[in-house]
This record gives sequence, C-alpha cells and structure tokens, in this order.
Amino acid sequence: MTDSIITTTGLTKTFRDTHAVDALDLTINSGELFGLVGPDGAGKTTTLRLLAGLLTLSDGEATVTGYDLRKESESIKKKIGYMAQQFSLYAELTVLENLRFFAEINDVPKKEMAERTENLLQFARLTEFTNRRAGHLSGGMQKKLALACTLIHEPKILLLDEPTTGVDPISRREFWDILTNLHLEGTTTIVSTPYMDEADRCSRVGLIYEGKLVICDSPRKIKAELPGEMVEFLTSEWQKAKTLVENLPGVLEAQTYGEALHLLVEDGDKGLKQITKALTKNGIKFRGARVAPVRMEEAFISLIQRLEN
Amino acid sequence: MSLRHILAITRKEFNHILRDRSTLILVVFTPLAMLLLMAYALTVELQHIPIAVLDYDRSATSRDFVQRIVSGNDLDLYAQVGSIAEIESLLIHGKVKAALVIDPNFSRDLLAMRGMPMQVIIDGTEPESGGFAVEHIASRAQEFANMALSTQIQMMGFSADALNPLDLRIRTWYNPGLKPRNDLIPGLISMVLGMPALSVALALAHEREHGTMEQLMATPIGRGELLVGKMIPYIVAGLVNVIILPLLAMSWFNVPFNGSFPLFFALSALFMFAVLSMGIIIGVFMKTQAAAMGVSFLMIFFPGFFLTGIFFPIVSMPEIMRLESLGMPGTHYATITRGIFLPGVGMEILWPYAIMLIILGFSFTGIAALFFRKKLG
Repeated sequence: MTDSIITTTGLTKTFRDTHAVDALDLTINSGELFGLVGPDGAGKTTTLRLLAGLLTLSDGEATVTGYDLRKESESIKKKIGYMAQQFSLYAELTVLENLRFFAEINDVPKKEMAERTENLLQFARLTEFTNRRAGHLSGGMQKKLALACTLIHEPKILLLDEPTTGVDPISRREFWDILTNLHLEGTTTIVSTPYMDEADRCSRVGLIYEGKLVICDSPRKIKAELPGEMVEFLTSEWQKAKTLVENLPGVLEAQTYGEALHLLVEDGDKGLKQITKALTKNGIKFRGARVAPVRMEEAFISLIQRLEN
Repeated sequence: MSLRHILAITRKEFNHILRDRSTLILVVFTPLAMLLLMAYALTVELQHIPIAVLDYDRSATSRDFVQRIVSGNDLDLYAQVGSIAEIESLLIHGKVKAALVIDPNFSRDLLAMRGMPMQVIIDGTEPESGGFAVEHIASRAQEFANMALSTQIQMMGFSADALNPLDLRIRTWYNPGLKPRNDLIPGLISMVLGMPALSVALALAHEREHGTMEQLMATPIGRGELLVGKMIPYIVAGLVNVIILPLLAMSWFNVPFNGSFPLFFALSALFMFAVLSMGIIIGVFMKTQAAAMGVSFLMIFFPGFFLTGIFFPIVSMPEIMRLESLGMPGTHYATITRGIFLPGVGMEILWPYAIMLIILGFSFTGIAALFFRKKLG
C-alpha cells in the first residue's frame, strides 16, 4: 500500500464546450506540500473545487482520503479544509465567532473547542484581534483567519486556492511560514499560487496548462529540466539588448524581468563572454553580468513559452 | 439533521441580521413602514364633500332634513340654490360634487308615508365622490324618516322597534362604519408579513455573492440543516411583526381585533413557514441579490397584490388565476387575518386555510431541498 492520499485518473470537468480540467492524472502523497501553478484560467481553481467536492465530475475517477469523489463527496468534506480564493468568511462575525462557527459546522468536539480556537489564534497571530469583526481585518489577517477556520477540524488535507493573492509581502511570508510548519507537522496541502517563489517552497509542483497537467515534479527537478545555464545582465536598454542577443548562436531563450535580462545559454561561462562582447560592441551599457541559478520563474516561463509555440 | 449545525447557522444568521443595518431595517422595519404607507395611500377616506341643495318644498320638515344631511363631517353644504341651472354651473365648475333636489311634495308625502320624493345629481366624472354622496344622503334620509315618523307609528299602535317605516338600509356587516381601513388593514398586514420571504431569499443570494456559500458547501453541513437554520431567524423576525402590526392596526387605525390572538399568532407562524419556503426557493435558484429581489417582487408581492383577493375579489378572476391564487400562501393567510380581525372567527372556519398553509410550506421546502445542491456547477 502506497501512502497516496489523493489519486485522480482522467479527472475532467467540462463547462459547456470548454475543458476546464482535461483528463488530469494526479497522485498526491500523504504529507506533501503540493504547489499547483499555471497561468490564469488554466484550471487550478476548478481542480481544487473538484477535489473539495464542490463540482460534479464530467469524467474520470478520483479518490480523496480513500473516498470516491463521485459518490462520497460528503464524507470527503469532513476530512478536508478548503479555502476559496475569494474572502469567504462572515464579515459581520468576529474573529472568534467565525472560528466557533466553523468548529460547530465541522463537529469539533465541544471539549476541544476552547483549546483549539486558542491555539489557532496564536498560530495565526490573531489573538489580539479575537473580538474584531472579520470584515475589519486587513487582507493578510483575513487570509490567516480563513486558514485558521479551515484548520479548526484538523483536516487531513488542506486545499488552498491562491491564499496569498493580493496580500502584502510580509503577510505572504508569514502565511508561508505557517504552511511550512503545517508541512513539517505532516499535513497534506495542495496550494495553488501565481507566485513562483512560493512554488519554490513546495515539495512538489504541478504545472497546469489548458486543463492538463504538463509537468509534475519537485522544484529542483523542474528547474533541472531547463536546458543549458542561465546568465543575467542588468541594463536599462534591455529591449535593445534582448533583440540583439536572443538570436546569437548558443542562446536558447531570453526573458526579461524589469532591468534584468535572463538568457538561457548552452554554456554559462562561454555565453557570458560571448554576450558581453556583443553588447559592448553595440554600445549597450550593462552591469552585474553573472552566471545565475535558475529559479522557478524562468523554468515556468520557459515551459509556458514552449507550450504556446 | 444535526441540531448543533442548525443552531450554528441560526446563531450566525441572527448576528448577521442584528449587525448588518440594512438587513435589520429590511427585516424589522420595512413591514411596518409598508403597512403605514400603503394604508394611507390606498385608503380612500372621503370627507367634507361639498354639495348643493335645491329645496322646492321649503317646509320646516325639508329644512330639518337638509340640516340632518349636512350634520356630519362627510357632506358639507356648499350652497342653497334656486334653480337646476345653478346646480349645473356649480357642478361644471367643480364647486360641488353632488346636488340634492327636494321635491315640492317632500314633507307631504313623507308624513303620509308615501315616500321621500327627492333627487340626487352627481358629477359623473368623479363617481367616487358622487357615489359616496348618494350613499351618505341615503343613509341620512332613512335615519331622518325613521325619526320623523316614529311618533306617527307609535300612534298607530306599533312600537318603534317593531317596525321601521322605510327600511332601505344597506347593511354592511363587520365594518359598520364602512370605513375602508377596517377591511383593508388586515389584508395589508397579510401582505406585508410576506417581507421576511424577500429577506431570506436575499440572505441566501448574499452568501452566494460573498463566497461564503462556497465555503459552506465545502463543509459537512447538510442541505436541510442549512435551509432550516437559515429560515428560523426570519420566522422569528416575522413573528415579531405578527405582534407589532396588529397592535399598530388597533392603536393607530382603530381596527378592531375580534378574534383570538393566540390563534392568529399560531396561524401566522404557519404562514411564515409557507411564505419563507417560497423565499428559500427563490434564494436557491437566484445567484445574485438583485435577481433575488426582482423575482421576489414578481413571485411574492405582485401576486400578493393581485391574486390574494385583498384588492380584487378572487371569485371575479379567470379560472387559471384562481387556481394560481390557491398556490400562494398569501391567499389563505389574507382570509385568516381578515377572519380573525373582523368577524373574529376561529378554527372551525379557518381550518382549511391552515391546512393549505401547511401543505404549501412542506411542498415549497421539499422543492427547495430537492433543487439545492452543495455544488457550484
């Protein structure tokens, strides 16, 4: 027996004529922190909603915590904690009332309620806001409260749909520290995110594109999939520089991030010299030329660009 | 069904109603405001209708008669005139709404008990005021005749009570003053008490719009638990109005409440259940509050206006509409409120309506539960 906690085979969801999720085969193991990435509209939200039992399957099979997603979605709902992308707590209820509400709906034993709410408030650093209405919290605090509400019944699986979208960087970091702690405690988490630095913190990442799972592996392996090495130049004339060097022999791909020009080349050191020469010859000023480690960001964009061509 | 789940939903919903000012106003004060507004807007209480009098008789009796006619605050004597032409001019200029022409033989015929020869001319372009004048003149005339003739009748050996010489009374039961409010207000109460149905439809749509429904659907809460828990606070809010509105009707509009209040309260609770189930159905199908609002008006208030018989008698409706009106909780409840308020009838008469409310309530809840899925699409 494997310790897979979610298995989907040919999981499909069709809305009218579009395949929002198209024959998805996915296996999530117990204890994983799984990142779901992909462009907007790729099917991340639909996948999470399907796994949460919120949508009827159009085709395929899936088991979540051993229950059949088609027939036993209500049993699954007892085992999961789902957090929607939109703020979906009761704005008129206080922090504590929201927690208690979800505790009661999820049949948290009465004896344990006080202790659990107390712990979660501390955990989410919301203790001093216990009696504040949820609607009056900052965006970051709302997200943490929502997470606390999904954790109140100690679910086996957490399904989080872009929990940090629209949250300031500090709250985002705090949120991910919480997720990492949960991961260390053994909670299985599937989190969708548009941020590649977040994907980098996952134990495994699945890239969804047009409803299909294109790649599914650890961040290290996904980055290793990228051919060649990466060199970075910082220049204010990045547009000119990009057109100049992207077709040079040995340059595989060019991406720009503000003033940073990231180039995938066959050989790092050789490429660095070759491009330095080309830029100097054309009078383009630059600084900070270096061979840089590949990030998820480059890997993701490279993959998407290849898929789109 | 878990009582804990239902109570959790109910408590949350109470907090929502009490803390969200617009919901509180909608639930508690709107029925009150609607009742006041509609009672005043819809009541045609005519007073001080100016009339002209052309007295050809010019006897003491006819002068007494005219005095009698204009003694109340319903009809005012605008002018005593000398000719029909003058009446015509006054009517054309809108100075008077009706004119009373007293025949030269008025007192002679009256005392001979041959009748009361007179004529009432009304402005046909304002039939409301004219009809009102005719009715009031007729009732005064009859009072006058009874009084004038009572001595004669007693002389003839009858007691005044035993015989009314000219009994042309139009008897209006249960509402002796013919005050339109007595009948209108219980009907209106039955209509405005449908308001909580709109609130519950909005509350469900609100959860959809704010994504809280999605969150709820991802929890183990049962469909029935959610719907029942959601309905309870609005039933309670409605029952608060069931107490307030009759008090208002009695104290402010002086409408008599002749029946049993506990019975009214119990049957109102049944009505709340039935009409809120209708609201739940709307809330289940409508995705936005705007849509829920529109459909509630279409399904609850317009039929309440036209089909429940408050304003238009059901018997005069085409067959298909009569059947439709049977499916509206308001139809039965309007009969119940009016029955309890005015004649003060009890269960011996109202039981079929109570049963209809129960049937409708359970059917609507059933339909709502059938179509309410814990799925987004």
